[in-house]
Amino acid sequence: MNKRHLFLALSLFCFGFWTWTSAQESSSPPVEEKQIEESPDLSAEFSLLQEEVKKLRLAEEEESAKAATPVQLQIPTIDVDTAIEQVGVLDNGQMGVPKDENQVGWFEPGVKPGSKGNAVIAGHVDSKTGPAVFYELDQLKTGDDVTIIDENGNTLTFRVTKTESYDTKNAPIEDIFGATSSRHLNLITCSGTFSDGGYDERFVVYTELVATEINTEVELDAPTSVELRGNLLTWHAVRDDAVIGYRVYEVVDGEATHIESIPSHARKSIEVTNEQATYYVTAIDQLGNESSPSAQTK
Amino acid sequence: MKKKTMNKIVAPALALGLLVPLNAQAADHAPTASTPAGDLRATLDQLLSEHYVLAVTSMMKAYDGAPDAEVAMKALNQNALDMTPAIASIYGDEGAAQFEEIFAGHNDYSADFVEAAKSEDEALRADAEAEVEEFVDEFSTFLDTATEGNLPKDAAADVLELHEDQVLSVFDDYVEGDYESAYMTYREGYKLMFDISKALSGAIVTQMPDKFETAADTPAVELRSTLNSLAGEHFALAAIGMQKGYDQAEDYDYVSWAEDQNTLDFKAAIGSVYGDEGAAQFEKVWNGNHITAQGDIVAATLEGDEAKIEEARMKLDQFAVDFSTFLDAATEGNLPQEAGQEAIKQHEALVLQTFDQYVAGDADAAWMSFREGYAFMFGVGETLGNAIVTQMPDKFAETTMPEEMPETGLGGAQEQSMNTLYAGLAVLGGILLAFVTLRNRKVSEQ
Repeated sequence: MNKRHLFLALSLFCFGFWTWTSAQESSSPPVEEKQIEESPDLSAEFSLLQEEVKKLRLAEEEESAKAATPVQLQIPTIDVDTAIEQVGVLDNGQMGVPKDENQVGWFEPGVKPGSKGNAVIAGHVDSKTGPAVFYELDQLKTGDDVTIIDENGNTLTFRVTKTESYDTKNAPIEDIFGATSSRHLNLITCSGTFSDGGYDERFVVYTELVATEINTEVELDAPTSVELRGNLLTWHAVRDDAVIGYRVYEVVDGEATHIESIPSHARKSIEVTNEQATYYVTAIDQLGNESSPSAQTK
Repeated sequence: MKKKTMNKIVAPALALGLLVPLNAQAADHAPTASTPAGDLRATLDQLLSEHYVLAVTSMMKAYDGAPDAEVAMKALNQNALDMTPAIASIYGDEGAAQFEEIFAGHNDYSADFVEAAKSEDEALRADAEAEVEEFVDEFSTFLDTATEGNLPKDAAADVLELHEDQVLSVFDDYVEGDYESAYMTYREGYKLMFDISKALSGAIVTQMPDKFETAADTPAVELRSTLNSLAGEHFALAAIGMQKGYDQAEDYDYVSWAEDQNTLDFKAAIGSVYGDEGAAQFEKVWNGNHITAQGDIVAATLEGDEAKIEEARMKLDQFAVDFSTFLDAATEGNLPQEAGQEAIKQHEALVLQTFDQYVAGDADAAWMSFREGYAFMFGVGETLGNAIVTQMPDKFAETTMPEEMPETGLGGAQEQSMNTLYAGLAVLGGILLAFVTLRNRKVSEQ
């Protein structure tokens, strides 16, 4: 666990210099306590293989860390709805900036929005020709909402806790980027007076996670080729690494009953007892998400 | 033993009256699948279809870089060598040597196709295709000459080319990841081998009437061949499917699909003999503790769940009891339950042995067991086929038929009306009928 000192200057896009010295854990993400709500006991339902159990644990950890990559930033109060670029650390120690001044840059070496710690997103206040995406960032007030949409379609809502302007050279980098046990997202842009060295201040909006809306629309394909011949029900696998198994449902008089769960490594067929019933199958992924039903037999 | 069975059949056959004595041969021989021509065809069925299975499988394995790829290729070469004695028994050592030189050599090309696919070497692919073309030409010429034109070169070349195309298309689809097409063609290609066997054995039988008194395509022999094809394909797909399942191969489901299609064909064959109800019964027994139990063994092996493996093995034992009971009842005792159970158990043991050796990483043993298990299935056609033929001799009567209508006139009555001709024919028919009836009565009185 060697600690690495990062010297960061945030302000390339503002032509100024900020220096940040911060101790940061190098690679391993912070350990998160599990917090899946209604976590189904998948390893009991499907007899999973060792590596599948491992995959399942990883997926759960990742999910509980809410650590999906952010793709969209929305701030309704100031009419911002923009895509998120990923930026890192430049050779000279500065934090990178978004290439497009109408987009924002998420500091990718840091934590993901929604994870424990301070996630940071920066945006330009203006370009050489006029206002840019964070032109009105200083209008935000405590209690305003900032929304992140991640790659899985989950919506994370952050609430502004305070806003602060700092002299570029004396900004509290540790407060803005450093480790903390709660889940923060901090937004940065330039402020103050523009001169030869760029803007002389940085405006920082501090927010904290208040709500997470997990995308329930699972993009998990339903099994295909579901057929009943005699008493043998067969189907084809869903070609998705996240799939750990299948649930088989028997439908009698329009009422569906879950009759069996088959792990993904097994032969995709079961014997059924009621040849008068119809059947359908769903795919289940590592997080217990269930696909839409397959076509029913017959 | 055989004689006894025959006598037993002759009596009820005669009781059928008019039908049977019309055919003098049928009166002498009860229909059977165990004729020299039937044996010849079964041997060719086995070796040619095994060639196909091993060719396709070894190419897939070589492409995947599977640890047993080389051993599978060795099995393919051994299969080619096994054909030599079969050919020698018909065409002598010299013919067999010639055959071996042409046939065994063509297996080498499959390695080139695999290499070409791996390295995307189009020139190598083109070379290999040219080699195959040359093989088709050489081998069809050989077959034409050996059978003295009974299997004409053109016909042989067509079917050989189709075979080579199918092998390649299964392989190409596999490489592309289009498993559905791959296994659809796989099944067509498998069946084609039995067509080739039929054409070749038919040509040999026609060429050597002294050696083969009855045809290679009598109804009984057809049944034997059909059952062999279904049983052989079942074994191949079961054994290969279990390996694919254990490896969690991407095409596992598609092998399962092919296996289920094989079940449907088997069901149809049973249905053609025993009707829909028998077919439905067959399907239930076949899938129940059999196909799904083999799947259970694969899953349980992956899970390391010994108890579950044991449970699945017990299911297979139960299958041997249930299926043999079904066959005993269906054939009305012509395939006695105990004998059936013994044979089915042996089959299942070979499937499991092949799987266990594969799991243990003993490729040599696994592929030896595979070949043994595959060969074992070709006794099914004879045993089950004969049980059915014995049960329903009328369905499998070997009626001798001329190839053309008789030349029943010399032209002297050209000007007479057609009506008279019909009348004449009717009289002739009446006489025949009377003759037959009389003769039949005489026989019955004996």
